[in-house]
Amino acid sequence: MAAVYKLSSVCRRGVHPLLYQSALLARPAAILQKRREPPCLLTARIHSSQALHSGADSKAASMHWTAERVLSIALLAMGPVAYYSPGPVIDYSLAAALTLHGHWGIGQVLTDYVHGDAKVKMANAGLFLLSTVTFAGLCYFNYNDVGICKAVALLWSK
Amino acid sequence: MGSTAKEEMNKFWDKNSRLNRPMSPHLTIYRWSVPMMMSITHRGTGLALSSGISAFAAAALLLPGSYPDYLDLIHSLSVGPYLIGLAKFGIAFPVSYHTYNGIRHLCWDLGKGFRLPQVNRSGYAVIGLSVITSVILALI
Repeated sequence: MAAVYKLSSVCRRGVHPLLYQSALLARPAAILQKRREPPCLLTARIHSSQALHSGADSKAASMHWTAERVLSIALLAMGPVAYYSPGPVIDYSLAAALTLHGHWGIGQVLTDYVHGDAKVKMANAGLFLLSTVTFAGLCYFNYNDVGICKAVALLWSK
Repeated sequence: MGSTAKEEMNKFWDKNSRLNRPMSPHLTIYRWSVPMMMSITHRGTGLALSSGISAFAAAALLLPGSYPDYLDLIHSLSVGPYLIGLAKFGIAFPVSYHTYNGIRHLCWDLGKGFRLPQVNRSGYAVIGLSVITSVILALI
C-alpha cells in the first residue's frame, strides 16, 4: 500500500525537507495559491521497504564490496612477490586470487547486463561452473606442471 | 507494506516489453569521452584477461603433454622476433592497463581524485604508464 505525502511546497517554492519526517500524512490536500490559480493537488507515492530485511541485504552487499577491494589490493601485492620469490605458495595464492577476482568481476558484469530472474540465475550458475573449472585447472597446472610463476618466466624467455 | 524498488523495476521492464516499446538511443548518440572509453576498456581488459586465464586452465586440464612441450612447439615454428614482441605486447598491455586503472579505481574508492581535471589527469597517466610498461615488457 503506497503512503501518500502532502508536498505543499513543491509548487513554486522548491522541495521542503518533508522527507525527513517519518510520520505520514494520509490525506491528500488541495493547496490554494494566493494568485488566482486552480488549486494544485499534489500527491506522491513513497515506497516503504521492510527495514530489517533491507538492512541485512545492504550489509551483505557492503561487505562484498569491501571484500572485492581487499582482494584487489592483495592481488596487487602478489605481483612483486611472484617476481622476486616464485614458488608453490605464491603459485596457489595467485591461482586462488586470480580466479576469485575474475569471478567477482564477471559477476558485476552480469549484474549490469543480465536482467530477469531466470536469466540471472542461469548466468550465475554458468559463471560458477567456469570459475570452478578455472581454479581446478590452475591448481592442476601448479601441481602437475611447472606452475604459474615458472610458466610466465618461461613464456617471456622465448 | 510498500513495494520494493526491485518490484517497481521489474514492473517497469515488464510493461515496456509487453507493450513492445522501442528504447531511446544511448551509446549511438551520446558523445564519447576519455573517462567513458577508459572505463569500458577497463571492463574489456578484465574480461579478456579472465577469458585467457580460464582458457589456459581448461587447456591445462584437457590437453595432453606438458607446458614446456607446447612452448617448444611454438618456438620451433620460429615466428620471428617482431611477432614475438607483438605477442608479448598483446599480453602485457591488458595486464598493465587493467592494473594501473585498477589502482586509479582504488583511489576513487578512498574518495580521492574525483574532480574532473584530476580524473582526466589520472586517466592520461594510466594510459601513458600502460603503454610505457607494455613496451618495456615486450622488449625484455
